[in-house]
Order: sequence, then C-alpha cells, then structure tokens
Amino acid sequence: MPDAHEKVSFPEQIARNKRQTVVVEGIMLLILFAVVYLVGAILGTPPVVTGVLAALVSLLYVGFTYANATSTVLLAAEARPANPAVREEKLLQYKVEEMALAAGLPVPQVYVQDSRDINAFATGLAPEKSVICVTRGAIEQLSQEELEGVIGHEMSHVANYDVRLATVTIGVVGAIAMLAEIGLRMLWWRGGGRDRKVNPALLVVALAALILAPLVSRLVYLMLSRRREYLADATGVKLTRNPQGLADALEKIKGDLPDDPKGSRTAAGLYIANPWNHLSVSSVWSTHPPLDERIRRLRAM
Amino acid sequence: MALGTIVAIVVLAAIALFALYVISARNRIIRFDNSIDNAWAQIDVQLKRRADLIPNLVETVKGYAAHEKGVLEGVTAARAGLVNAKSPEEANAANNVLTQALGRLFAVAEAYPQLKANENFLQLQDELTHTENKVSFARQFYNDEVLRYNNAVTTFPGTLFAGSLGKTKRGMLEIPAPDREVPKVKFS
Repeated sequence: MPDAHEKVSFPEQIARNKRQTVVVEGIMLLILFAVVYLVGAILGTPPVVTGVLAALVSLLYVGFTYANATSTVLLAAEARPANPAVREEKLLQYKVEEMALAAGLPVPQVYVQDSRDINAFATGLAPEKSVICVTRGAIEQLSQEELEGVIGHEMSHVANYDVRLATVTIGVVGAIAMLAEIGLRMLWWRGGGRDRKVNPALLVVALAALILAPLVSRLVYLMLSRRREYLADATGVKLTRNPQGLADALEKIKGDLPDDPKGSRTAAGLYIANPWNHLSVSSVWSTHPPLDERIRRLRAM
Repeated sequence: MALGTIVAIVVLAAIALFALYVISARNRIIRFDNSIDNAWAQIDVQLKRRADLIPNLVETVKGYAAHEKGVLEGVTAARAGLVNAKSPEEANAANNVLTQALGRLFAVAEAYPQLKANENFLQLQDELTHTENKVSFARQFYNDEVLRYNNAVTTFPGTLFAGSLGKTKRGMLEIPAPDREVPKVKFS
C-alpha cells in the first residue's frame, strides 16, 4: 500500500531514493569494472578476456553485495536480535511496533548493539524487510518518550527509503574498499616479480584509480547522508506528535561521550548521531548535521 | 480523408483520456475509502487484544486486593462495553472509558507493594500500556486516512464522483483529552 507512506514521506522522496540507489549501484559497477580492467591490463591479460572478466566480477559483486547488504551492515555493526526475555528489550520491541502502526508500515525487526553509547540506526532494502537497531546505552539511559522519538526518527528513514540507499551504499562501499585493497596488494606482489613490460602511464592511472575509488565512494556517501537527518527528525515527529521526546533524546546523546563505538566505521552515516564523534561544527566530512542545530529546530516546532 | 481520420483519432484519443481520468479519479476515492477500513482493522486487533488481557488482570489483582471491588467492577464493566461495541465510534468511546478505568486500577495498585512486585501483574501492565499506545497511534493513522479521504470526496474532482459512488464524508475517532482534572480542594 504505497499510499500509506504519504504521511511520513513524500512519494517524490521515495522515488528519488530509489533512483539514487540505482545510480550508486551503477557508479559502483563502473568503478569496479574499471578497477578490474586496469588490474588486468597491468597484468597483461588480453583485453577481451579482461573485459568479460571485469563485467562478470563487477556484476557478481554488486549483485552479491546488494542481496546481502542488510546482513553486512548488521554484521559490521556487531548487532544482535533483541532479547524479549529482558524487560527493557521487550519494551523496545513494543515501541517499534507502536511506531510502525503510526507510520502504517510493517513492523521492522528489532536489533540491539551492546554499546554503552546512546545511538540507533535502521537498515534494510525495503520497509517490509527493515531492521531497527538501538544500543544498550540508549535502552538504559533514554526514557520511553525519548526512545519513542528516536524510533520515530528511524522509522521515517525506513519509510522514505533512505535506509535502502544507505544500506546499499555501505554494502558496496565495503566491497569497493576491499577490492581496491586486494588490487593494490596484487600490484605490489606483481611488481616484485620478473619484470614484464608494463606501460608506466597505465600503472599511474591504475594506482590513482585504486587509491581514489574508496575515497570517492566514501565522499559520495557522506554527501548523500547528511541532509537527510533534518528531514527524518521532522517526519519522525509527525509520527510521535511529540518533538520534545526526540529533542530530549538528542540532548542526552550530545551529553553522552561517544567512547564505546562498536563495529565498522564505514557505517557511521547510518546512525542517528555519529558514533565516532559528535562534532558541533559542520564540515564536508561530517556525516551528520550538528546536534545543536537539530535540537534547536525540534524545540522550535 | 486524411483530415477526417485525424479528427476522428484526436476525438477518440480525447474520449479515451477522459475516460481514463474518470476511472482513476473514482478509483482514488475507493482506494482511500478501503484504506480507512484497513486502518480500522489495525485498531480492532488491538482492542480485541486489550479485551483479552483484562480478565487475567482482574484475577491477578483480586489475589492481592480483593476488597477494591468498585475499581475492579469498573474495569470489568468497561471491558464489557468494549466487547459489545457495534461501530468504530462506539468501540473507540468504550476504549476511552476502559483506559480511564485501568488508570484508576493501576493507581490503586500503587498501594499494594506485593501486587506491584508480581511478575504476572507487571507483564500485564506493560502489555496493556503497550496496546493502549498502539490504539492511539493506530487511531492517529486512522484519522489521517479519514482526513485524506474526506478531502478527496469534498474537493474537485472527487465531488463529481463521490455522489454516484455513494461515498460521503466519514467521521474521525475522538481522541480523549488528557486528564486535566484539577483535584478539588475544599476550604470551609
């Protein structure tokens, strides 16, 4: 029922996120293709063989990472399913069910990250296959009202497909970074062997691509994720009808030193607040808008 | 012949486009109407769950505070009202009464430390609070769906088709005002 999403998000926003997901995959496909092709060229394999191989490898990689993006993210975040035998985690599941009802969406799976910090994120490829993960720190330190605000924020990321874009981007960024790393290693290893004629210009291009690929994909991802937080704050409040809850939660996050981040740093942009640092000044490299500004906007509602 | 054919094609195309437009406008209203019923179904599930939890709760409380008869009977009566409700509006009103009755019960329970420590009671309290929250969020969603539907049938082009489809404005579910009752203080 696509109409049910209207309340928390605009159809154009969903369409844009789906489109951008395809663009991200397309870009990654091209980068992977180029990297494999260049590595092949350096190794001196015939162009036809490298071409077919590069196409195969890049398609397989993107297909595989897409299919497994959600579990990759959960694994990278060291998250575990919530334990309903523990009262607070049962109550957390209740809150997620409540917010799903408010949004008119299927209930996401609930995961917990065993970190002392206050944080949360959502992941998944579609609302019916989504996961909301909250840290132990958040469960222990946030009131039910504040927790509700946080879940509402995550639920709006789910509703407008921000989560698909972010999940796919992280899945593929991880793959790219890994591939580039492997490529570089191969290049070093090859360089040490018998000397075969390799065009030095090609070598420079290959090296540049290998080094730039992860950087570029990371920058693209950062640019994508930043602006979405204000929007998710606002649409989350539409669900809870209580800007106070989320504002108080962000206030607590601000006061909480991010000293216990868990999992991979690649997923930083996914969280409600960056688990590695709560910068108060905005820069091209920050994954989130400053907390102060977000709190100010919520208080003004 | 060429001119005649072109005119015929243009006219036919215009008629086809208009027909498509009418169909989609009518379907929009029907779809919105159906989604209200669907939203109601979500509330109904929660109300049934609530009603199912009450007897268990009453039994548990009786074990520790049997003499709080008035409060217990109030809850039982409110539950009966909910079970017997015929329409969404009635069920919603009955649920609001039940919420108040439960509020009184939980307030009374504060005076019984043994009851408050009872695992079963705690679980029931959590779940009843949870279903109440679910009802209120589902009701919020329901009312939004009604608003969208009402806007569709009362504005152009919906007004043109609403009559022939037999679709009229639908009522929203009343949300209880937060309890603002100031305790009465008597000076005499």
